[in-house]
Amino acid sequence: MTALLALTKVQLRIIRNDPWFLVIMFGMPLVVMPLFTKTMGLSLQASGFEGATGAEQVVPGQVVLFGFFVGGSVGFTVYREHGWRTWDRLRASAAPSVALLGGFGLPWIVIHVIWQSALFAAGALALGLNFNGGSPIALLLIITGYSMCVIALILLATATFRTVNQLSAFQNVGAMVFGGLGGALVPLEQLPGWARAVAPITPAYWAMRGHQDVFLRGGGVADVLPEFGVLAGSALVISALTVSRFRVDETKEFFA
Amino acid sequence: MSLLGRNGAGKTTMLSIIAGLLVPDAGTVQLDGLDALKDPESAARLLGIAPQETGIYPILTVRQNLEFFGELSGLKASRKSRASEVAEQLGLEQLLDRKASQLSGGEARRLHTACALVHRPRLLMLDEPTVGADVATRLQLIDAVRQLADDGAAVVYTTHYLPEVESLAADIVIIDDGQILARGTQDELIAAHQLRGVRFSVEGVLPHGLAEELNAVIVGDSTYRAVGDLDMRELLRLFGSNADQLTAVESLRPDLETVFLAVTGHRLEADASQDEATSAEEASA
Repeated sequence: MTALLALTKVQLRIIRNDPWFLVIMFGMPLVVMPLFTKTMGLSLQASGFEGATGAEQVVPGQVVLFGFFVGGSVGFTVYREHGWRTWDRLRASAAPSVALLGGFGLPWIVIHVIWQSALFAAGALALGLNFNGGSPIALLLIITGYSMCVIALILLATATFRTVNQLSAFQNVGAMVFGGLGGALVPLEQLPGWARAVAPITPAYWAMRGHQDVFLRGGGVADVLPEFGVLAGSALVISALTVSRFRVDETKEFFA
Repeated sequence: MSLLGRNGAGKTTMLSIIAGLLVPDAGTVQLDGLDALKDPESAARLLGIAPQETGIYPILTVRQNLEFFGELSGLKASRKSRASEVAEQLGLEQLLDRKASQLSGGEARRLHTACALVHRPRLLMLDEPTVGADVATRLQLIDAVRQLADDGAAVVYTTHYLPEVESLAADIVIIDDGQILARGTQDELIAAHQLRGVRFSVEGVLPHGLAEELNAVIVGDSTYRAVGDLDMRELLRLFGSNADQLTAVESLRPDLETVFLAVTGHRLEADASQDEATSAEEASA
């Protein structure tokens, strides 16, 4: 517990000392969103959501897409410890691997949730996204479930890959493939049949389904519980797999 | 205690095993009556290690680095006061609010060491703490080590730089190929492993085959050291008609270097950066 708390605090402190990555990751989706709002509005209307403005797709879509990039940071922080030669010092504290993983993962889940929430708020202000009867608590559930799932997935990748370049490739390809298949780029209803068939294996699919429930169907907490259950349940299963795979004595290569 | 050995002798491996960073093939690690292999978390509280390569958070300030490593090692409210104390001990008190990325190499090295002792470990292990450090940093680190030892902490200090070992005046353990070959105070080791020998300088090239015959190693420009049952008379006899090549001959006094040679059969390599630092110090003096 000591190591978990100390690591959590130091991760948050590092982010506070250098917040520019998050600032950029907050600005970029806001630049992209207006470019596709009108097109996505037409696309949603063609999918049967009359009166949709497009913000209901483009805001959650960009949050889900960029969420993979922001989540990737948790992996980079682990590799960075090796680059800074601080990893052995952490190991010398004899903290169990669960505490180390938690110390990296938990602060990033919190940051990821805050980052998503801020983008939804900005989307509401800039693009007129509104709940249309949907529940803000339901939205928070989906946001939290997605953050847990993405951070868990990135930590599993970190436990698996030896170099930061491998993680970077996974993060980039993962964002586009998972985001594309999951309905972050175009509405789920517009995806080809084969894509709709495989979409449920991606966290993006369950997040986008939950967001549709909230913003397009006026859904409440009960309506998004299945999606939240899949996201949170997947996060737990992935985390268990990560703990079993993670070897604290494995040397990771950061950028040379 | 100074752990003395060549590169690859097993010094870092030994410290890594004690610190729980490596798992030994066999044997046990006892720390203050505690089996460190069976109870690594309790053992971790007792020890501090500063690995050979500088490991600090460049993005955090000196104070934040010290407080974090203190908290990681179990300090709670006292971590703030300890950070200040340790910073003062290592001459970092003026730099507490400076980011570690803005420190000089020597300052970063001191912070690296300070992070290992912030929680007052019973056993402090410093792996080549002065590698690449300037003269001032080296002196400060050695002073800090002495103070810790005076305060009752056990300090294991690995180096292959003999002047540091001599200035620490601590017990010495000589290690080679993973085996402890000798241990004792400097005086005890010198008394137990006295070697005779000569140091000589020549003009031109050493006559063919003589270096092997003398088992001589080059220690400077045209200067050699030969140890063994050898004195000046024997050296002149071996040089024979080439004796006029000799420009200087000096009998060797037993010291740690000759002890190391006698115990391991090898000459101890000096760290080039430390030699340069010493040369610069001598030049400025």
